Amino acid sequence: MPDDTTMFDPTGDEAAERDARWRRVVGELRREPSVRPGALDEVMAAVLDPAAGGSVRPIDSAPSRRAGRLGWLVRPRMIAVTPLHAAAALVLAAVALGAALVRRGDAPAPSVVAAPAGPAAAAATGTSEAAAASRTVQFVFVSGAAREVSLVGDFNDWQTGTTPLRRASPDGLWTVEVPLEPGRYTYAFVVDGTRWVPDDAAPRAPDDEFGGEKSVLYVRQDT
Amino acid sequence: MTPRQGSAPRTRALAALLLLALAAPVAAGAQDVPRAPDPRIAARFTGEHRVRLEAILDSARAADIPAEPLVQRALEGASRRLPPARIVTAVAGLAERLRLARRALGAPASEADLLAAASALHAGIEPATLERLARSRGSAGVALPLIVLVDIVERGVPQDTAERVILSLSDPRVADADFQALRQSILGDIGSGAPAGVAAAARARGLLVTHGLAAPMP
Repeated sequence: MPDDTTMFDPTGDEAAERDARWRRVVGELRREPSVRPGALDEVMAAVLDPAAGGSVRPIDSAPSRRAGRLGWLVRPRMIAVTPLHAAAALVLAAVALGAALVRRGDAPAPSVVAAPAGPAAAAATGTSEAAAASRTVQFVFVSGAAREVSLVGDFNDWQTGTTPLRRASPDGLWTVEVPLEPGRYTYAFVVDGTRWVPDDAAPRAPDDEFGGEKSVLYVRQDT
Repeated sequence: MTPRQGSAPRTRALAALLLLALAAPVAAGAQDVPRAPDPRIAARFTGEHRVRLEAILDSARAADIPAEPLVQRALEGASRRLPPARIVTAVAGLAERLRLARRALGAPASEADLLAAASALHAGIEPATLERLARSRGSAGVALPLIVLVDIVERGVPQDTAERVILSLSDPRVADADFQALRQSILGDIGSGAPAGVAAAARARGLLVTHGLAAPMP
C-alpha cells in the first residue's frame, strides 16, 4: 500500500510534467470557439425581438439604479396566473369596492338638531323649537279654547291620540317633546280630535292632494 | 401524492369561495327589497287599494326610492279619513316626484334632500333648478334651502324671485342656520308690511354681503 503522503508531495520531473498538463487544459478552456463573423449579432437581435419570441429586455430599459433597495418593486417579472385565480382576484376586488362604496354612503352620527323656531304665535297657532343639545324637539301650540291637542306626523304614523300635548299654562300653552332622528318630517296639530291645524311658525308644505295644510320640520344631520 | 392530485382540493375550495363571494351581495340585495307587505298598510287598507299601494312600494324600492315616506303619505290620508282611491293617487304622485328628485339630485342625495326636492317639484319648481342647487351645494345638502324656498313661495314671494334668491345663496359657505335666519327675516318684513319679493331680495343681498359673496351697496 503506498504512503498517502506521496500523492500530495510530488517532486522533480513528475511535478513539472503535471503542471504542464494543467496549463494545457486551462488554455484549452479559455480559448473561444471560432464562430462565423456576424453570428453573435444575429443571435442577440433574435433574443431581444419580442416578435421573434424574445423575452429579454435590453439593459437600458431596466429600472433605474435610483430605485435602490426598492428596485424589486418596479422590476418587471413574469407571473403565471390561472383563469380561476384571475376570477377570484376580480371577485375580491369587486367585493372590496362594494364595501368601500357602502361605507362611503354611511351617514355620520347626528349631533345637531335644527328645527323651525319662530316667535310666539297668536292663539290657534303653534311653534316648535329644538333642544340644541339633543334630538328631542319641543312642539308648542297655543289655544285657550282647545280641550285637547295632539300631534300627528311622519314620526308617529299619523295616529291621532298617540302623542298628546299637555297644557302647560292656564292661558292655553300646550307642549310636547318628541325624540326624533335626523330627517325631514311633516306634521300637524289635531285640536279636539277633529280639527287639523298647521304650525304657523314653521315652514309650510303644499298639499293640494289632501286639501289640508301641514308644516315641515327638518332635523339636521351632522356633516 | 403528485402535485396534480394535490391541486384538485385547492381548486374546489377556490371555486366554493368564489360562489360564496358572488352569492353574498345577492343575498344582501334581497334584504334591501323586502317582499313582505307592510303591516301598517295591511292594517288600514284592503282589497284593490292595498294591492295597488303595495305595488307602488315595491316599485319604489326597486328604483332606489325610499318607501317609508310613501307609507307615511298613505297613513296620513287614512288618518284624515280620505277615500282610499284618492290616497292611492296621492301616493303614486309622491312616488313619481321622488323619482324625478332622485334623477335631479343624483344618487348621493339623502332621504331628507329627496323629500324636500319632491315637495319643491309639487310647488312648481323646475327639476333644472334642483340640479343647479345640488351642483352648487355639493355635500352641504339641499334640504333646508328647498324647504325655505317652498315656504317663502307659499308666503307670497313670487316663484321666480324665490328661485333666484335661493340659487344666489347656494354657495356651500352659506349654512343651514343662514337659511333659517333668512326665512325669519323675510317673514318678519312681510309681517311688517313689506312686499314679499322685495323683502326676499333685500334680505338675500344682506346675506351675500355678510359672506363676502357680494359687494356692499355704495
